[in-house]
Amino acid sequence: MIAAGIDAGSRTLKIVLLQTETLRVQAAGRVDQGIAQNALAADLLTRLLEENHVSRAEIGPVVATGYGRNLISIAADRLTEITCQAVGVRRVAPQARTIIDVGGQDSKCLRLNAAGAVADFALNDRCAAGTGRFLEMAAQRLNLDLQSFGGHASASTAPAAINSMCAVFAETEMVSLLAEGILPADLAAGIERAIALRIAALAGVGAAGPVVFTGGVALVPGMSQALAAALGQPVLVAPDPQMTCALGAALLAVRQCRPLPH
Amino acid sequence: MRPCRGNEKRPAESVGPAEPGAVTGVCSPGPLEWFSHMIENCYEYAVAAKAQGRPVVGIMCEYAPRELLLAAGAVPVCLCGGHAQTIPAAETDLPANLCPLIKSTYGYHVLRQNPFLEMADLIVAETTCDGKKKMLELLARSRPTCVLELPHKSDDAAAFAHWLSELRRFQALIEERFRVRLTPKKLRTAIALMNRERALRRRLAAFLQADAPPLTGRQLLDLKSSISGIPADLEQYQAAIDLLQTSPPLPDAARRVRVLMTGVPLVHGAERVLEIIEDHGGLVVCLETCTGLKPILEDVDPHAPDPLHAIAEKYFRLPCSVRTPNRRRLDSLRNLAQAYRPQCVIDLTWQACLTYAVESFQVREFCREVLLLPCLALETDYSPSDSARLALQVQALFETVRGQADAPPAGSSSKGHA
Repeated sequence: MIAAGIDAGSRTLKIVLLQTETLRVQAAGRVDQGIAQNALAADLLTRLLEENHVSRAEIGPVVATGYGRNLISIAADRLTEITCQAVGVRRVAPQARTIIDVGGQDSKCLRLNAAGAVADFALNDRCAAGTGRFLEMAAQRLNLDLQSFGGHASASTAPAAINSMCAVFAETEMVSLLAEGILPADLAAGIERAIALRIAALAGVGAAGPVVFTGGVALVPGMSQALAAALGQPVLVAPDPQMTCALGAALLAVRQCRPLPH
Repeated sequence: MRPCRGNEKRPAESVGPAEPGAVTGVCSPGPLEWFSHMIENCYEYAVAAKAQGRPVVGIMCEYAPRELLLAAGAVPVCLCGGHAQTIPAAETDLPANLCPLIKSTYGYHVLRQNPFLEMADLIVAETTCDGKKKMLELLARSRPTCVLELPHKSDDAAAFAHWLSELRRFQALIEERFRVRLTPKKLRTAIALMNRERALRRRLAAFLQADAPPLTGRQLLDLKSSISGIPADLEQYQAAIDLLQTSPPLPDAARRVRVLMTGVPLVHGAERVLEIIEDHGGLVVCLETCTGLKPILEDVDPHAPDPLHAIAEKYFRLPCSVRTPNRRRLDSLRNLAQAYRPQCVIDLTWQACLTYAVESFQVREFCREVLLLPCLALETDYSPSDSARLALQVQALFETVRGQADAPPAGSSSKGHA
């Protein structure tokens, strides 16, 4: 049987298919978000099944997560991103004690206890600073896509000081800094540092390591280094960091049929 | 779920028919029905009292010594605003980055839409938070006000002496303005009335100590009144107690996560966060806020030789976050956690409420290290724009409490994916 985890995030929708017996990942895929959550999820699932020659009849339990979780009709159960992320990360990085997840519309910090269970968590306050959206805005302003924005940032030796913690004001600040002749690379690095400091404040001083970084923003070049500098400790980017939450959802779906093996 | 209703200008017209599904677990009509018309009841009472020549006095905070007002024959009515729609009007004078309770209250003043504020002969406010204090200066430009200076040091003899002197000054002001004499006998009568009201409300709250209580936290939150000491309210509190004693427990009580809420007050109309908690599988068994148990946990000593001194003592002990240090709030949380057995704590702060926001650190630390309970700190205002985010955090907290991520360890066979 196959268990499915569907993570309907703010920017992309991800699905992980897991063999319930072996816990082997059968397929994983993602698609950019749109308006019709349920249709997007159904289409992606169909595509994954076809590409991997899996019959629909093999699909067993489905767990949905992400902000659009309640719109996914095939899900038998719905759990928050916090629970799913913890379970997914524990699978790929069992030593993790702190998870920092930065997605399109929010950033989260999860503190795990020694057994890997969620001890507590914090979300960014209602503001785009410290989220992927902030990075997108900055990249757009510099006419760059996120990858090359990150590339520029990594090349900087003198990150600009961005003081605004508001995405809207930060854009204004960028405009002034560009007018002053600050290099785009230094601006990009400054933006990454500003976001990293914001996220580090969420994690708190002395966040327990190892720190594992997940979410789409973990893929932006330079972000994990900026975060490590802000936290004052190494940051491990989770393998395939956009998919860990969907993986956790799939693992939790498996648990509906049987307890996970030790 | 019952829609939020506020201090609309014509309360009797603003309220539709009672929703049949609004009260579950206990049967209506009866006391719950009575309190579902709380604003209209208060309005009628205040209008009638005013017609009899009794002064109406607006209060802004639980530190207001209601006993002094009741002893003077005045009607003490809470003016705290709980609605987002008056906030834009407030922001013409006040900064946007101010707590929504202050802005909403002031918005009613600008719009002249709170009938209680419009009929108030006096507004009394305390120097609790700075935002309220400075807002009151603007209010005072066109309305009769009186400020009581509340010293912030919590266990300090000189601070208490000053508070007592403020209440003596307030007594003299009331006596002069309302042409009454606040005799010890009148004060003792008012003390007895307020003690009785507090005791009744404590008994109502205590129903939520049960494993399977007969009412929700949301229902309990409605069992209060903007005006203290209304005889009909006291009768209805007693009727509610009688009713709840024989009411069946909530059918889903065992499945719900027991929550202790602490932090800022959920004034009438601003119940959204509590509703989100209870709509997502929680049961708010205890509300340690100024609209919950905080102001009614302790009574005024009815036998004290100096009744004014006893009144000053009771109010001085209120553990508001403006006090420093505010150890008594943590002590109260410990006692309440023992009595109400929550599985988690939710600490609510209104955006830009500095003292509750900063004190949240101590509350979270206390929950983690002393109460051994998970604590979620939420910050929001009166706009519903972040309801989904709040719900996400509440649901994640409940999943944490239920141990839904506590799988057996991922183990040695950890395989990467894709």
